[in-house]
Amino acid sequence: MNGWILILGILVPLLGACLLPLLGKIHEKLRDITAFLLIVAAFVCAAFALFGVFSKTPVSIRFALPLGLSFGFKGDALSVFMALTATFVSAIIVLYSFGYMKHYKNQNEYYMMVCLFVGAMMGLVYSTNLIAIYTFWEISSLCCWRLIGFYREDITVQKANKAFLVTVLGALIMLVGFMGIYGQTGTFELSAMQGVHIPAWTVVMILFGILSKSATFPLHNWLPDAGVAPSPVTSLLHAAVLVKIGVFAYTRLFVLTFDIHASFGSAVPTIAAVSALISAGVAFRQNDIKRVVAYSTISQLAFILLGLSCQNEIGLVGGLLYILAHSVAKGGLFLCAGIVEHALHTKDIRKMGGLAKTMPVTAIAFMLCAFSVMGIPPFSGFFAKYLVIEGILASDNVVLGILFIVGAVMTIMYLMRLFVKVFLGPPAEDAPPVKEGTPVMVISVLILGLASLLLGMIMFLPSQLATMVGGVL
Amino acid sequence: MFHAVSEWLSGGVNLLLCMVVLPALFGVVLWMCKKSHFLQTLLVLLSSLLNTLFAFVLYGMDDFVFNIPLTTFGFAYSFRIDAFASLFLAFTAGMFVLISLYTVVNLKKQSYNGLYLLYLYISLGMINGALMADHLGILLFFWEGLLCTLFGMLLIGNRDHPKAAMKALTISGLADLLLMLGILLTVLSAGTGNMSEIHALSLSGNHIVGFVCILLGALAKGGCMPFHSWIPQAAEDAPTAFLVGFPGAMEKILGIYLATRIVTELFVFEHGTAMSIAMMILGTLTIVLAVAMALIQKDMKKLLAYHAISQLGYMVLGIGTGLPVGIMGGLFHMMNNVIYKSGLFMIAGSIEKQTGTTDLKQLKGLGKKMPVTAACFLVFTFSIAGFPGFNGFFSKELVFDAALESHVIFYIGALLGAFMTALSFLKMGRSLFFGAYQVPEGTPPLRETKAGMLIPMSILAVFCMIFGLGNTLPLDTLLAPATGIQASFSGWPHSVLLVVISLFVLLLALLDHLYGSKKDGSPLHAADHIRHAPVLKHIYDAVEKGWLDPYHWLMAAMGGFSDVCVQVEKGIGFVYDKAVPRTVKRAGLALQRLSDGRLSHYLYLAVGGMLCIALLFWLL
Repeated sequence: MNGWILILGILVPLLGACLLPLLGKIHEKLRDITAFLLIVAAFVCAAFALFGVFSKTPVSIRFALPLGLSFGFKGDALSVFMALTATFVSAIIVLYSFGYMKHYKNQNEYYMMVCLFVGAMMGLVYSTNLIAIYTFWEISSLCCWRLIGFYREDITVQKANKAFLVTVLGALIMLVGFMGIYGQTGTFELSAMQGVHIPAWTVVMILFGILSKSATFPLHNWLPDAGVAPSPVTSLLHAAVLVKIGVFAYTRLFVLTFDIHASFGSAVPTIAAVSALISAGVAFRQNDIKRVVAYSTISQLAFILLGLSCQNEIGLVGGLLYILAHSVAKGGLFLCAGIVEHALHTKDIRKMGGLAKTMPVTAIAFMLCAFSVMGIPPFSGFFAKYLVIEGILASDNVVLGILFIVGAVMTIMYLMRLFVKVFLGPPAEDAPPVKEGTPVMVISVLILGLASLLLGMIMFLPSQLATMVGGVL
Repeated sequence: MFHAVSEWLSGGVNLLLCMVVLPALFGVVLWMCKKSHFLQTLLVLLSSLLNTLFAFVLYGMDDFVFNIPLTTFGFAYSFRIDAFASLFLAFTAGMFVLISLYTVVNLKKQSYNGLYLLYLYISLGMINGALMADHLGILLFFWEGLLCTLFGMLLIGNRDHPKAAMKALTISGLADLLLMLGILLTVLSAGTGNMSEIHALSLSGNHIVGFVCILLGALAKGGCMPFHSWIPQAAEDAPTAFLVGFPGAMEKILGIYLATRIVTELFVFEHGTAMSIAMMILGTLTIVLAVAMALIQKDMKKLLAYHAISQLGYMVLGIGTGLPVGIMGGLFHMMNNVIYKSGLFMIAGSIEKQTGTTDLKQLKGLGKKMPVTAACFLVFTFSIAGFPGFNGFFSKELVFDAALESHVIFYIGALLGAFMTALSFLKMGRSLFFGAYQVPEGTPPLRETKAGMLIPMSILAVFCMIFGLGNTLPLDTLLAPATGIQASFSGWPHSVLLVVISLFVLLLALLDHLYGSKKDGSPLHAADHIRHAPVLKHIYDAVEKGWLDPYHWLMAAMGGFSDVCVQVEKGIGFVYDKAVPRTVKRAGLALQRLSDGRLSHYLYLAVGGMLCIALLFWLL
C-alpha cells in the first residue's frame, strides 16, 4: 500500500462532488447514493491507511514543486483517527439527508457542498504542509457558507455571512502566524519543523484561527446562529467536521509539531474553562432546541481543547477520544432535533412535550446520545470525560479540574431539561399530531445512538489508536 | 458432567465475569418473555439463585485479583475478590433473590414489567461489577452506569411525571462526578488506581479533597443528606418495586461498601480527627432531619422513603466514629436496615396492590384482613424502632455506644432519631392495621397479599429475628472476618445503662404518641402537635415548600449563573451583530470620503497602506 490511498481519500469526495449536480439532473436517487458512496469511499481509504498506522509504517506521499517547495500527505495515527471519525459520522448524516432533504430545492448544491466539505476535511487532516492546511481550511469555510445559507432567506444568508466572516478572518490571522513561522524556519513542511520553538505571537495568531473554527469563547458566536441551516448541515458543522478542524489543528501544530511557551499550557485550558462554563450556562436558558445543542457543542469543544492542551499523554488521549465520542453523540442529537423540528415545524421547546409517546425511537436515540455527552458509563463519553479531567489534574491544576466538573454537572442539567421538555411530560397545548420521522432518518439516529453505546463497550479499540498519537509526547 | 461443573465453578475468574455479564443477558431474556408470567417467575428464581450460587462460591474462595487483558488508556480492567467484597456480593445476591421474586409478582399485569426486569437485572450486573472492581476507574464505570437504569426505572410507566427521574439523575449525576473527581485525585496521588495497591493514604493536601469527594459520592448513593431529595420524590412517582430494590436495599449496600473501604483501607481515618467529626455531624444531621420529615408524612411510601434516608445516618455516624465498635455497628445496621426496610417497602407495595393507594388517610384497620402482612409489619417495626431482641436494636446499640464514646451530642442526636422513628411507626402501624376497617371506595374485597409477595417479606421478617437474637452469625461469623476487626461485639449490649436509656426513649415515644392521638383525635394525627409546635411549624412550612431542598438551591444557582451567562452572551452578540458591522460601515464611509479625487487624500491612503505592509514584514 502507498500514499496514493490518501490522495484517493481526498480526491474521491472532492472531485466526485463536482459530478453530483450532473447526476442530480439524471436521477435524484442516483445522486444521493453516489454522495453516500463517495463518503464511504473516503472512510474505506482511511481504514486502509489504518493498517499502515498499526504496522508502524504510516502511508505518505510527497510532491516536489518548483522553487524548492513541496507538499505532501501522511496517514499517521492522528490523521487516520480524525478521518475515520469524520467520514463515519458524515456518512450517517448523508444517509439521514435522504429523508430530510427530499422536499427541498437546491439539493444538487447541497450534496455537492457536503462532499466537497468532507473532501476538504480529508485534505486538511492528511496534509503535512501549512499552506495546504490553510487551503483546505478555506475550502471548508466556503462550503460552510453555502450550506448555512442553504434556505436563501435573508436571515439565513446573514447568519451564513457571519459564520464565513468570523472563520475566514480567524483563518487570515492564522495565515499571518504561518508566515511568521515561515520567516523563522524557511519552510512550510511540518516534518521539517518538528520540535521547533515558535514565537508566542505566532501561537496567538494561529490560536485565533483555531478558536474561531472550533467556536471557542469569545469567537464562538457564529455557531449558535448557524442553527438556521437544515439539521443535517448543523450536524455536519457542529458535530462531525467543521468544529473539529480547529481542535485537530491544535493537536497537529501545538501538540505534535511545535514547541510552544509553557504559559500556553495554562492559558488555553483557562480559555477552555471559561468557554465551557459560559456556554453551558447559556444552554440552560435557551428555548430553541438547536441552540441548546449548539451551545452544548461550544461547551463540549472546550472539554476537548482542555484535554489537548494540558500537555500530557492522558489529556491528549482523552481529548482525542472526546472528539470521537462527541462527534457521534452530538451528530445524533442534532439529527434527532431535526426529526422533531421536521415533525412539529418549530424549534421552540416550550411548544413541545410528551414526544416519547409518538416518536419513541427518536426519543431513545436522543437519550442514548445525551447520556454519552453527559459522560455517563457505559457510553463512550464517560471514558473521554474521565481522561480529560484526569489530564488536567495530572498537570497539577486542581482548580480547573473542579471547574470542568462543574461544567459536567451543568451538561447533565441542560441536557436533562431539554430531554424532559421535548420528550416527556404532557404534550404542549395546540401541539399538532406528530409521527415518527421517515425510516431512513430514524435508522440514522438510532445508528448514532447505538454507536455511542457500543463505542463505550469497545473503547479499548479507539483507545489503542489514540494512544499511538499520545505516545509521541 | 458434575466434575466439569464443579471445576468450572472453582475458577473464580469465570464466576466473576458471569456475575457481570449473565444478569444483563437474563434481563434481556426476561424482557422478551414479558407475556408469560409463569416463565418470567421461573427465570427470575433460576437466575437469582444462580447468581447467589456464584456469589457463595466466591465467598468461599481465597482472595484473588484478576486483570482482563483489554486496556483503555488510563484504565486497568482489574477485579478482585477479598473477604469484604465477597461478603457484600453474597449479601446482595441473597437480597436480590427476594427482591426479584417480589418484583416479578408485584409487577404482574403491568405493561412495563419486562422492561423493568431488564433494568433491574442490568443494575444487578453493574452492582456486582462495582463490588468486584479493583481499579477505582472501573468501580466508577459500574457505579455511575447505574444512573442509566435508575433513570429508566424512575420513568417507567410514568413519562408524564418525570420530576423524580430528572431530580435523581441531576443529584446522582452531581454526586457521581464528585466521586470521579475524588477517584482521579486519589489515583494520581497514589500512583495507581488499584485499590489492592492503595493503603492508608494520609489525609493531607489533595488527599483530603480526594477523600471528601469519594466519601460524598459513596454516601450520596445511599441517599445521605444533602443528596437525598430525589428519594421522597421517587416515592410519589416510581413503582414501589423500585423503592424495594434501590433506596431500600441496593443503594445502601453500595454506598456503605465504598464508604467503609475508604475509611478502613484506602485512607488513614482516625477517631477524633476533623474528618471523623465531620462525618459524624453529617450522619447525625441525616438521622434527625430525615426522621423529622418522616414523622409528618401521611403517605406510607413517602414516610418510608424518609426513613430510608434517616437510617443511613446511623450507618454514617457509626462508621464515621472510626472506632471498631462504630464500624461494626454501622455495617451491621446496613445489613439490618436493608432487611427490614426492603420488607417495609414490600408491605407498602402489597397494600398498594390490594387497595390502590398508600395514603394513610384512606386506609385503616387492615390487620384483620391481612394478618400475615400485619405480623411482618410488626416485626419490621420492632426492628427499625430498635426494640430489644430484634436486629435493629443490636446494631443501634453498637452505634449508640460508639457515638457516646465520641461525644455526647452525637449520642443525643441518635437518641432523638430513635425517638422520632418509634413515633412515626407507632403512628403508621396503629392507623394502618388497627381500628375500624377503611379502604378507598370501590376497592374489591380485601385479601391477604399474594404468596409470591408474602414469602419474601416473611423470610425477611424471620431474618430480623435471626439477626437479632442470633447476632453472633452476622457479627462474628460474617462481619468480623470481612473487616478484620478482632473484637467481638455479638451478644447482649455490654452497657446496661445504654439499654435502659434506649428503652426509656421508646417509652417516651409511646407516651407522646398516646398524648398526640388523644389530643388530635386519631393515631394518624398523633405527631401533628410536633408539626405545629412553635418554631418547628415555620421550619416544617419552609421544608414543605421546598425551600430547604438542596436540589432547588442547585437549580436556583444554575438559573442565576445562566442569567449572568446570557447577559455576557448578549454583550458578545452585540459586538458581532451591531458594533463590528457599524464600525466597518463607518470605516467604509470614511474611506469613501477620502476617495474624493484629491491627490493628497490618495497619498495618505498609499502611505498608510505601505506602513501596514511594512509593519507586517517587520513582524515576520
